[in-house]
Amino acid sequence: MDPNKDNANPTILNPSDLPSRRKGDAISNREDGGTGLFDGLVPTYSYLSDPFDVPPSPTSSEEDSPEAIDEQEIYDLISTISDPEHPLSLGSLAVVNLPDIHITPPTSSRSLISTVTVEITPTITHCSLATVIGLGVRVRLEQALPPRFRVDVRIKKGTHSTDEAVNKQLGDKERVAAALENGTLMGVLRKMLATCE
Amino acid sequence: MSDIQLYLLEYDKSKKEANRVAQGSAEKLQNKQLKLIDLIESLAEYINNDEPATRGRTMSYLAEVLEAMPPKVLSLQQRGLLCDFILSRIVDDTEGIGSCAKGLLALEERGQWDSARASGVMTTLIDHTNPVRQFRTQSERYPIVQLVDRLMAKYRDAIKNVHSTTPDFLSRFISYFDGEKDPRNLMIVFSILKVPMTEWDTGKDTQDLFDAVFNYFPITFKPPPDDPYGITAQDLKDRLRDCIASTSVFAPYSFPALLDKLDSTSLNTKRDVLSTLRACISNYGFQTISLYAITLWDALKFEILNVQEEDLATESLNCLAGIARQLSLGTQSQLNAYLGPIIKECNQHLEDAPTKQSSSSGRIVKSVAATTPQATNTVISGIVPTFFSLYHTADNFPKRRGLLEVFGSIMKADIEVYGDWRSMHSLRFGDDIAEKPPNAFVEYGEQALHLMSSDLSSAPVKEVSFRLTALDGLLQLSRIREMLSDDQISSLVIDFSNVVVTEESYGKDELKTAAISALVEIAHQKPQLVIDKAFPTFLANLPDTDTGATTKYVPVLEAFAKLADEDKLFQTVIIRLKSKLKAAVHQQASTKFLCDLLTAVFFAFTHRAKKMDIEVNATHYTDLVLPLLSQITDSQDQHNSSLQSEPVLDLVGRICGTIIRPLPLTVHISMSKEAFTLFRGVTNESVPPFSSTFGAEQRYMIVTTQVLASLCKEASPPIKLDDMVTALVKFCLAESVTSGVRAAALKQLSLVINKFIPNAELAKTLEPVLYAPMELLTSAKLNSQSIRVVFAIVKGLILRNSSLLNKTLPSLLEALSNIDYGRTIARGFSTLLQPDDLLTKENYCTVSGLHKQKTFNMLVPPIAASFRAANAATKTNYLIAVAGLLRYLPYNILSHDLSSLTPLLLQSLDLPVEEAYVKEASIGNIIDILTHNPAAIEEHANSVITRLLSTTDQKSNPTQVRAVALICLATIPGSLKQETTIPLRRQVVKRLTAALDDGKRSVRSEAVRCRSKWLDLDEEDEEE
Repeated sequence: MDPNKDNANPTILNPSDLPSRRKGDAISNREDGGTGLFDGLVPTYSYLSDPFDVPPSPTSSEEDSPEAIDEQEIYDLISTISDPEHPLSLGSLAVVNLPDIHITPPTSSRSLISTVTVEITPTITHCSLATVIGLGVRVRLEQALPPRFRVDVRIKKGTHSTDEAVNKQLGDKERVAAALENGTLMGVLRKMLATCE
Repeated sequence: MSDIQLYLLEYDKSKKEANRVAQGSAEKLQNKQLKLIDLIESLAEYINNDEPATRGRTMSYLAEVLEAMPPKVLSLQQRGLLCDFILSRIVDDTEGIGSCAKGLLALEERGQWDSARASGVMTTLIDHTNPVRQFRTQSERYPIVQLVDRLMAKYRDAIKNVHSTTPDFLSRFISYFDGEKDPRNLMIVFSILKVPMTEWDTGKDTQDLFDAVFNYFPITFKPPPDDPYGITAQDLKDRLRDCIASTSVFAPYSFPALLDKLDSTSLNTKRDVLSTLRACISNYGFQTISLYAITLWDALKFEILNVQEEDLATESLNCLAGIARQLSLGTQSQLNAYLGPIIKECNQHLEDAPTKQSSSSGRIVKSVAATTPQATNTVISGIVPTFFSLYHTADNFPKRRGLLEVFGSIMKADIEVYGDWRSMHSLRFGDDIAEKPPNAFVEYGEQALHLMSSDLSSAPVKEVSFRLTALDGLLQLSRIREMLSDDQISSLVIDFSNVVVTEESYGKDELKTAAISALVEIAHQKPQLVIDKAFPTFLANLPDTDTGATTKYVPVLEAFAKLADEDKLFQTVIIRLKSKLKAAVHQQASTKFLCDLLTAVFFAFTHRAKKMDIEVNATHYTDLVLPLLSQITDSQDQHNSSLQSEPVLDLVGRICGTIIRPLPLTVHISMSKEAFTLFRGVTNESVPPFSSTFGAEQRYMIVTTQVLASLCKEASPPIKLDDMVTALVKFCLAESVTSGVRAAALKQLSLVINKFIPNAELAKTLEPVLYAPMELLTSAKLNSQSIRVVFAIVKGLILRNSSLLNKTLPSLLEALSNIDYGRTIARGFSTLLQPDDLLTKENYCTVSGLHKQKTFNMLVPPIAASFRAANAATKTNYLIAVAGLLRYLPYNILSHDLSSLTPLLLQSLDLPVEEAYVKEASIGNIIDILTHNPAAIEEHANSVITRLLSTTDQKSNPTQVRAVALICLATIPGSLKQETTIPLRRQVVKRLTAALDDGKRSVRSEAVRCRSKWLDLDEEDEEE
């Protein structure tokens, strides 16, 4: 249809089918299994807390249980990136998929460096924008993850006609750095990342 | 000196003065001091002057004299002569043409012209002043177009006659306005040209006429900032669009031209094209539209299939629907010729569902079908068979979901045209039901029902979106009027109830939520079926008591309470819940279980409070309020012990309050007599707070508070007010009172002071409490209970803006420096402006609109001043107090004193960890200031940013505080000046990496958002 687009008519996943954390911790923590429909009914400030006393400090157990960065969190970071061709997210186009995200813990006890591997699946095998998408994912993760993570973005094997060449480009630190100096490219990336929450 | 000489003299000095001279002349004419003939003769010298300016001014004098003439002074003959005179001027000399037109307008106003005169004026204008653009100034052209407009409006037949008798009149008329650029004139020109468009036979001039207006398309006019005429681009667009859409003879020119402009890269142009197309489609008539229908479809579909902007797609869909609506007026074959290609293309897209284009096809199908019965039926018979065959061969759920979505939109379209069960009743009387062709969907109903209901139950629970779509499809099917039988709908109700009640919870439980909403919707259509079929399932899964049972009943209860949203189910839901409650009490169920049941009842009532009528409430008063009250206080009842816990009593009180609130005064008054005794058959003196001892009965004060809250001002309890206040204060101070009951009693105190005590008696009632003999305000009497009482009293006063505050508030401020109790008092300040669920206008309290402003003015400046003077030990108290006040104030109140507030807010960020909630509130205020008035923070930028960063770093701060600090930090790049933020960017971005590794997910996500805001800052800079 539109000759300017590599894939003018991609398949779209429904947001309900995308992997998500069980609605924050709200649901899993509700022992009664309710949805919290009745929660706002009686205002919390009426009887529960007496403002004249020292406000109850959050229970230590709540503060102490750390929530580690996991694959779902990585997915949430990158699935909202927009596709450069469509006003759709990489998640709903199934370009990034939860099973294709892996976190490798530090290899030795002395090292602190974990590795995040993301394999992206272009919507069609000859997609010329695969490199740009890969770059976008990479930039997003480098901005959003603490420095103890090493980011490795690659095209999923067999999903792209020139996947090896693209992977080489994405893995080459200098070429990535050079690409980011390019104003036009940065403009495209900024637009892609603008939809990130 | 003659008037004209005077006029010419004044003209250069002051137009106003000159106009006065003209008015004077008019007066003289009226008084017969001056003869018209003399006036005209006096002009002779100047009107033939060599100086063009003088000639123009002379005409302007004449026009102004005529404008100032009262009606009926000039005779018909005089007016005729004057017209001739002016017209002869126009023929000889166009100097002062604007004034000529003004003069003619004035003459016309003073007496209707005959048609010969009207056509004479018109031809003179067209012959001698063509084109109008030769006159340079807008103010000269304006009266001319006004004059033409007047002729078109009032002498339509005469002018039309000129057109039909003069062969080249129309072409000269069209070119007359060529090149007009002024928006005010254009507005009139468009409306002038609309007359020949709609009323004249335009013949060979049609295209010229069309071009004359279309040359202005698209309008790109931007009004100047101080535009005196207030004409907007939209005004011009509307008039232009009306012209283009005015006549179907334009179709051969307008459609190609518009579609050509649809390819424009400017989105605004496309918007104008689409709205004009829509107007053309609804005005040109179906015969014309049928010629262009396919062309239009071919062009418009791109806007929908490759959505560029959502509003363009929506407007394109409206156009397609408009065509369908028009063609339905014609023959079936005209309609088929249009819908055929649409159906064919959409069927093709359906084959590769779910794609972007298959879902767009759904939208197309929906909008063309939701127009007329003919269109609906054509679309149904074209698409539905393909849907079924594709569906049966589809091998995966996403594909089926994509197909079902389109199917669902067809059903929605069908409902829009044929109505649902609920609308059936109203349609049957007088509407067009008899004339509609039978609904083509009926033939597929059975098949669709089997297909979707078996898929809903057989698909695995993890196929959320598929099952959601199937469920929605079934819901739509059940809504279509006269489609399914009651038995079929009943089986759907059972299916949906099972989803809600028995199905395992999965993911976000979207399906359960959807199933409940679907039940509510079906209840809307067929209430009895839901009562008969769904209620038994729900009730069977609600236990009578929770002892020993492990069933998770809460989701079922929530769903059941939601069903009460539907009017016709409300009563039944309440009755069933009541009997559950009875059983639970009988079986000594736990407090938690009783609370849940009562909450469900309360939920049902609060959600219906707005649409509830008084009679229904009155029945609930006798059926629910009175029995509940007597049940809780009945000491003989051996089962009622489970009802005695404080949370249960609170809920009972709230339910009673909601029911009592809207009832008439008589009920309120009889209730007020029993507010404390609660129908126990005893005297007020024998129950708390009036009795001498406060035993177990003190807990009923919780119910009393809610009951008093719901009563209107006039229904004050029949007890002397000062006795009531004194008793309440003593009760609140008593050691034997539990904290829950005390909280309720304090609320009661605020309520009584705010609502029941008249202004005149306020001082008399409160002085014995605050000062001698009780002396609660003296520092020697301060203790943790008395502080609470004082704040409860002040809260009641603040809301009614009482003058007593002038005396009480300073004492409170003074107490902030108290070594022992200063901190408690400081925290108390947060209660003063805190939103309150009981002290509200709905509860008949006095809530002054200015109370926040006034409290701010009375408290904040003195606190800021004392803070500066305070010693280190008490400084914190002031910070806590001010933060407690500010957290509930909107920005417009804060804005009065930003310069002294900002340092306080900043310092409160340095408070120790145990005051974390104070920090949270202060950060909230800083965000407020940043969004409304960043300049106030500008000078503190460094210190704000540093403090926020360290707040996010300190893990001892609670999660929420760390998160809100990051939110605040994220608003800074968008609000403060770049020269302030850019130098700090590197440092902020670097320090934020620590927050990226925070232990809490919610903090991390804020950190990511915040960091990207700061990173973007630099990029924007590079662009510049």
